[in-house]
This record gives sequence, C-alpha cells and structure tokens, in this order.
Amino acid sequence: MTRLIPDWEIRITNFGLGYILMSLVVAIAATNTGNNGLYLVLAAMLAGMIVSGILSRRNVRGVDCEIESVGEVIATRPAWLKVKLENRLRASSAQALFFLHEALPGPLWIDPLQPGEKRELVVEGTFPRRGVYRDADAGLLSRFPLGLFRKYRRARLPRELVVYPLPETSSVPAVPAEESRGGRPHPRQRGGGSDIRTLREFSPGDDPRDLHWKQSARMGRWIVREREAERDRSLFLAVENGVAWPPDAAALERFERSIARCAGQALLLLSRGSEVGLHARGVKVGARGGRNQRIRILDALARLQPVSLDSAPPFPVMRRGDLRWFVS
Amino acid sequence: MVRLLTSRREMPPGLRRAYLLVLTPAALLAPLPLLWTQGASRSAVLLYELTLLLLWWRARGGRTVRASDAMLNLAGLLYLGWLAFETVTLRLGLLRSVAHLLLFTALAKLASLKRPSEARLALLVIFLLTLAAASSSTHVSSILYFAAMAWIGFRTLSQLGVLADFEEAPPDRVLESVPTPGLTGVALLAGAAFTAPLFIALPRLHGPFAVAPFRIEDAFSRTLSADRVDLESFGAAKRSDRVILRLSSKPELSFTAREGLRLREAVFTEYQDGVWVREPWSGRRRGERAAYAAEAVAGEPLQSVVSFDLNVFGQGFLFLPYGTAAVRVDRGRTLELPDGVIQASSGRGPVHYQAEVRRRPERGPGKDAISLADVPEEIQKFAIQLTGDLSTPRAISRRIAELFLRDFVYTLDPPKATGDPLVHFLLRSKAGHCEHFASAAAMILASRGVPARLVTGSYGGESGLFSRSMVVRAQNLHAWVEADLDGAGFEVFDPTPPAGVPPAFRPFSMLSRLSALAREIEFFYDRRILGFDSTDQVAAVEAARESLGAATSALLSLKGHASRLLSPGFAAALLSVAFTALIVLRALGGARKGPGPATRAYLALRRLLARRSGPVAASVAPAEVARLFGLAVPEAGKDARAVASIYCASAFGGIEPDPEARRELKQSLRRLRRLT
Repeated sequence: MTRLIPDWEIRITNFGLGYILMSLVVAIAATNTGNNGLYLVLAAMLAGMIVSGILSRRNVRGVDCEIESVGEVIATRPAWLKVKLENRLRASSAQALFFLHEALPGPLWIDPLQPGEKRELVVEGTFPRRGVYRDADAGLLSRFPLGLFRKYRRARLPRELVVYPLPETSSVPAVPAEESRGGRPHPRQRGGGSDIRTLREFSPGDDPRDLHWKQSARMGRWIVREREAERDRSLFLAVENGVAWPPDAAALERFERSIARCAGQALLLLSRGSEVGLHARGVKVGARGGRNQRIRILDALARLQPVSLDSAPPFPVMRRGDLRWFVS
Repeated sequence: MVRLLTSRREMPPGLRRAYLLVLTPAALLAPLPLLWTQGASRSAVLLYELTLLLLWWRARGGRTVRASDAMLNLAGLLYLGWLAFETVTLRLGLLRSVAHLLLFTALAKLASLKRPSEARLALLVIFLLTLAAASSSTHVSSILYFAAMAWIGFRTLSQLGVLADFEEAPPDRVLESVPTPGLTGVALLAGAAFTAPLFIALPRLHGPFAVAPFRIEDAFSRTLSADRVDLESFGAAKRSDRVILRLSSKPELSFTAREGLRLREAVFTEYQDGVWVREPWSGRRRGERAAYAAEAVAGEPLQSVVSFDLNVFGQGFLFLPYGTAAVRVDRGRTLELPDGVIQASSGRGPVHYQAEVRRRPERGPGKDAISLADVPEEIQKFAIQLTGDLSTPRAISRRIAELFLRDFVYTLDPPKATGDPLVHFLLRSKAGHCEHFASAAAMILASRGVPARLVTGSYGGESGLFSRSMVVRAQNLHAWVEADLDGAGFEVFDPTPPAGVPPAFRPFSMLSRLSALAREIEFFYDRRILGFDSTDQVAAVEAARESLGAATSALLSLKGHASRLLSPGFAAALLSVAFTALIVLRALGGARKGPGPATRAYLALRRLLARRSGPVAASVAPAEVARLFGLAVPEAGKDARAVASIYCASAFGGIEPDPEARRELKQSLRRLRRLT
C-alpha cells in the first residue's frame, strides 16, 4: 500500500520534469534558429520556474497547521481531529492546499485562506494502531502555482496524541468469581459481593441480574441492587509484554490481542464498579475505580511496548492478598 | 474527501469534464496567430476552434465529452488519409502540415481524455501549438498574444495542479478559487520582471531569425535592398505602414510643414528594360565603424549630428540627409558607392549609425547621370515635343512639373503597363506614383542633355511620443530627381504633384498621440524584441555596467557628504530628535489605545456586579453578566442588557456607539450605580 504521507518536503513532479525537458527543447530551438519569439518563450518558461518556486514557498510556509484530538481516540475506530489553520501572510491568500493525515482516507481540499485568516476544521479519521503519536503524521501539500513541484509542510502537534487500543468486548468478566474472592470485605466499597449495600437506579453497565424487580415495579423505573465488595484485595489485570527477541509477527499479534482483551476486561470490570489495576513488566497502574481509572488503564495500555524477555524488568511487586490475573 | 490518483484506471466523467474545461481556454487561444501568419490554413484553424467550442459547450452542460473509441479510430484513419493527400497532392509545406497535425492531435486528445497522463499530453500538444504560433508571429500584436497566453497558461497550470490530486470531480468552487486574480496578476508581473533580464541574458549564437518591420518576401524589403528596382514594387512598398527608421538629432533639426526632412537612400542612373539597376559592388569597401566623408561639404559649419536606427534587411542602403559630411556605422560592414550612397551589410539586424550634417543647400554629391543611350526612344521624342522650344534646364524642369501637375494623376495603383512601364506612364496611362513621375522627369531631362538621375529615399516623418526622435515609415518613401539645372551641381527637383508628396510633418492630435503610442510599442517590439541580437546584449551589459558605475559614484559622493555632515554634535542632535519623536509617538499611540466608551461602560457594569454579587470570572460572557445583574437587581436588568448589547456591537461587530448611544450609555450607567 502506498503511504499517503510523504517523507520529503519538496519533490519535483512528472509534469515538472516534462517542463524542464521542454525548456531544454525550446532552448535548443531558439539557439539554433535565433528566433526571438522562441527566446521570449524560453525566458518566460525560466521565469515561470523562479516565480513558481517563490510563490509555492510562500504559499506553503505561510500557513501554520496544528492538530488536536477531540475526545478519546481509539485504534481502528473513527475519531475526531481538530485541524487549526492560520494564514500568517498579511497580503496574499494561501491557496490550492491539501491536508494530509495518515488517519484520513486521502488528501483533504482546503478552501483558500484569506490573508491572516484562522480556520478550524474537524475531520474524521481512523488510526490503524494504538500508540503514542508525538509527531503529527500530517501536513499540508500543495502543487501551487504551476504544478512543477509538490511541497509538503508537516503539521505541528502541540501535545502528544494517545491512541487507545480497541477493547475486545466481553459481557462476562474473564476473572472467575472465586478467584477474586478473599480478604476482608470493605464496608463502604461497592462491588460484586453477595450482600446488598443499597438500592439505586439502573445505570448503563449494570448487570441485569442485579435488577430488583419488585422495587422496579413499585417505583415504575429500573432499580438495581448495589452489592458490597466481597474483598479488600485489589485485582490487577496483567499483560505479558516480555517476548522472545526479536519478536516475530505472530508474537506481536498475540501481544496486541492480549492488550485489546485486557482493555475490554478492565472496562467491563470498571463499569460494574470494580476496582482494577494493571500490571505489566515495568508498568504498574494502581487499582482504583471510576472514569479516571478507565483513562489511566487505557493510557497505559496505549503506551505498552513489547520488551525482550532477556532484559525485561520484573512484574511489579504486589501486596499480600492482591490478585494478579494474566490476560492472554 | 479526495484520494491521490495512483492507479492508471480511467477518470470518472466528472473529472474528465473538469480537465477539459481547464484545458479548453488555452487550447482555443494557442493556435490563433496561425490564422494571420499563414502557419496553418484558415479553414483548419477555424474547424479546430469550432470543434473545440462544441466540446467545451458539451462539457459546460455536463454532457459526455469523450468520443467513442470507434469514432476516434475512424477519425484517426481518415486524418492519416488526408495527411497523405495533403503531403503528396496539395503540398502545403512541411510547417503547415505539421501545424495541421498538431491541431488534429490536440483535438483528438481533448476529445479522448481518459487518464490524467493524457491531459498532460494534451497540454504538451497545446504548448507545441503555442511554440508554432509564437515562433511565426512577427507582428507587434504578438505582445498581446504572449500576455493573454501567459495569463491563461498560469491559470491552466494552477488548476491542473489542483486536479492532479483529485480522483473524483471536484466541486465547482475548487476550480473557481484557484488561482485568485490578484495573485495571478502578481505572478505575471513578477514573471515579466524576471523574463526581461533572462531574455536579454540568454546567449545568442545566431542573428535574429526574423526582423521586423518587413519580411524578406515583402515588396517593401525588395525595394530597399534589391539591386534592381521595378516601378511596380515601389508603389506596393508605399502602401506599407511599417517603420523604416527612427532618428534623433543633436542639436535638433527643425522641420516645418512646408519643408520636411528629405533622406537620400539610393541613386539610379541605369535603366534597362523597364527596371532601374544599381551596381552595389563597384564601390570601396569599408571596415567597421566606417567614416564616410564628403569632401565638398567638409568645410561647412556643423548643423547637427543625427543618429539613426535603420531597420534594414540584407544588403540595405543607409538613409542620409542632404549635407551629410561624415557617417559612422556602429557595426557591420559598409560599402561606399559612388554619388554619396552607402550600402550596409548587417546580416538581418537593424543598423545603427550617425551622420554629421553640415549647413549647405540640398545638393547631391557625385557626378553620375543618366546616359542618353538608356533613355527609350519614345521618351526622347516626347521630350523634344514637350520642351523643344526651351533651352535652359530650369525652364525645362518647370515645363515638366507643369505638365505633370496638369495632365497626370497620382496613384499608388497605376494601370498595368504593357511594354516599357515608363513609356506607358508618360504616353498612355498618365497615372502613377512618385517613382513614375521622378523617373519620367529624369529621362526627359536626360533626353534634353541635362545631367539628371533618379534618387530614392524618404520625405517627411512623424515625431515620437516619448522622445524628440522622428519616425520614418514606408508611407514616407519617396523618389525625386537630382539634376544639374544651373551648372553648380545636382540639386533636388521633385516633379511629383503635391498630392503624391508625403506630408512633411504630421500634426499631433489625440488620435495621433494614440497612434504614436502604438508606433512606439511597435518600434520597441520590432527593434528591441524581434531584432534583439548579441550586439544589443553587449550594449545592454555595457549600459548596466555604466549605470552601476554611476550609482557607485553617487553613493561614494553621498558617503563623503554624510561623513562631513555627521559630526558628533549633529549626530547627537539627530538622536535627540529621533528619541523625542519616539516618545511623542508612543504617548499619542498610548492615548489613542484606551478602551472605547462601550468597553468602559461594560467594565463598569462588571465592577458593579462584582461589588453586588462577588467576583465575576473573566470567562463570563457579556450576556451572562447582564443576566446575573438582572437577577441581582431586577429593576436594573434593562439597563444592564443595554450596556452589554452596545458593548457586544462595539467589540464583536465593530459598530462604535454613535453620540446618542453614548448618551444612553451614560444614563444607563448612572441609573445602574444608583440602583446598585
């Protein structure tokens, strides 16, 4: 597959090569015939190259381009990206610009930017892989004015862009209930225990088995039982990021799959009110609950890289009674 | 959203139409000069234009523009057959056949656009057509063609550059927005600014291919450069409006409506079979910078030095005023012929020369005259009949002039002669142009034993618009007689009736000013563009060097002045003035930069709200401030909203409050303070 984003800043086009070739032909014809009409055409063609270079440089360099994500970005899922454009030229408009981004299916036409104009675009893109993007794999491309050269200017990324792994959905926790039991129940912590802590309204993510049918019928809306946590020990989902070096494709695929599965399990458990942490070699996210924990775990999983088993750091030390569940 | 075209698959119809719409203006304009340069047959160019317009019209209407493969193949085969017929039977010439082939190829390519690469091929063919047109155009109107082609070419290339990144038909606004007219203008001006020095600097290995104002096949150029001049071609030459030469004099020569500038070009004394003949190779060859000197006038006081730019083709003859004592030719080889005639061999370029003119009556140098043996018998008999009763040359000449004025008609289209054209003119048609009159008069004088000869040259001229120089055009070509009427030498005798003598001086009017402007442009194009050669390059470099030297000298002298002026006291005073001016400007700027009344009122409203309800965050919007104020002080809500509204109009809409609104602001603020 041809990579969309160029790794150059200026490149001559096929048309530009043809233009230079034709200039040579006209030069030979003019020199041999002494026809000043041809000399005039030749001079105009050479001047065209100079003017093209100047205008094209101003056109592309005069525009600032910044990219930010809008909300969470999840690999292989459409994400919103905010593109901020500013024409810093005070006298001339910037025109014939295309915005390129690896997450976009193709170049995006930008209407001419008037002198000093600032514009924000929100584009939908898809990132194929999880990870952290520190350099914008995006920029502005233009053949303006004569199409002799293609000029590319890389966009700026004001802060790193974290692409979360796509969680592998699961409706049932992979951690067996008996594995997660033990320790001392936490009096104020809700969880997956057998004792009823309170009744509350249903919210998305609640287990349908917790519906309190009688109370729901009485109150005319869905009511669920909130159970107390059965334990005080923390559950850590663990991903084995140590692989035989150099890693082969199958190993890397297994690694990515385990990350996706881990993300799915973490989100499921968190949505049920559990406290979940994350362990990997050299990585530890403390066990907590709530929305912020979701972001912490997804962020850690987005940044997780395979390491060589020979030199891999050990898994984090656990407290006594804590549970580490390896997701594979 | 668009995608880069990386595959070689066919373009969708919409994109094809877009390519066609972008290419058509350039394709329409490119071959137009071929219509008048005869580079292609007119019917072929017109057929091409009409077919292209049809394609463009269909594309504009959103209809299919691509012809079917079968139709294209059939058209190609038919054209091959036509090409063979044209080459073998019609024999239009290689260049015209090639031009026709280019026209057909351009049309076929535009009608069969399938991929972007084919659009580039069509562009190449259009460019070749442009080259053919540009290389064959020698008329000054080519400047307009070049300008229009540059404009359309820039537009076409810009839009093609945009289309190259589209895989589907772009929205209309895309092509409409590129390029903007302003940027196109700037680009073309910058292009012209770079083109001029490049045009001058590009190396010239040959002389110019074509030199205006006349081409070698013109009767005009034959008249001025051939050794044999027939009477018919001279009339045709006078019909031309081309510029022959431009001259400037120092001190300025004065001309009047009565007596104009008479420039002598060639002298004819031999007449054979109805043709005047001159022998160019019988003179003395001169090297570069020839200095012709007429001994007879060398002692006279200097009247003026006249500089000429003569557009001459091949072996041309220099136009010289009467009284010329010396001639200096800038380049090329010259040949000094008898009777004060100088032939210049300059290849195909213009000749620049200076003539030193001294005060003396109009008399031609030399002694050659028409031999009686060259005069046809019929003319000899006619001369006896006409002037047999006269004995003095001056009386004979007067009789001749009276006869021509009374019985002859001046015309540039004399009847076709049967037999000797002079005999026909004198005895039968009695209608002709100046060369007929002058030739006949010279022959009659020669028949009567008066030394006489025919002289060709120019009479009169037009003043330039931007300079005090004078332009001589083909219309000013003239012929007259030099005859020894008083035994003191060859004096000018002009027997042509006044209707046939070119005007001595053209008065200026608005129309003539405009035509003078056009003439200046034409001369510039002819002389500085079409006729530009290596010598001009050297002159341009020399001029640039001299300008640089002058600028350097000026700078050095300025530096000297500055060093004298920049004494410590003067520098301190200058710095003090600058510093004071800076402070004053800053103070004025600071005073001007204060917030406007609307902003001040709004800030006061915020302060009042803060005093009433606690701190107000900077992010609270004006409307929210007014609302909060209304909640805090319900009776002041209306005034708060009014203040916020005027502030919004001023800060975000650029509408400053008028005096009435300012009064209202003041009153509102007063009420707000009271209520708060």
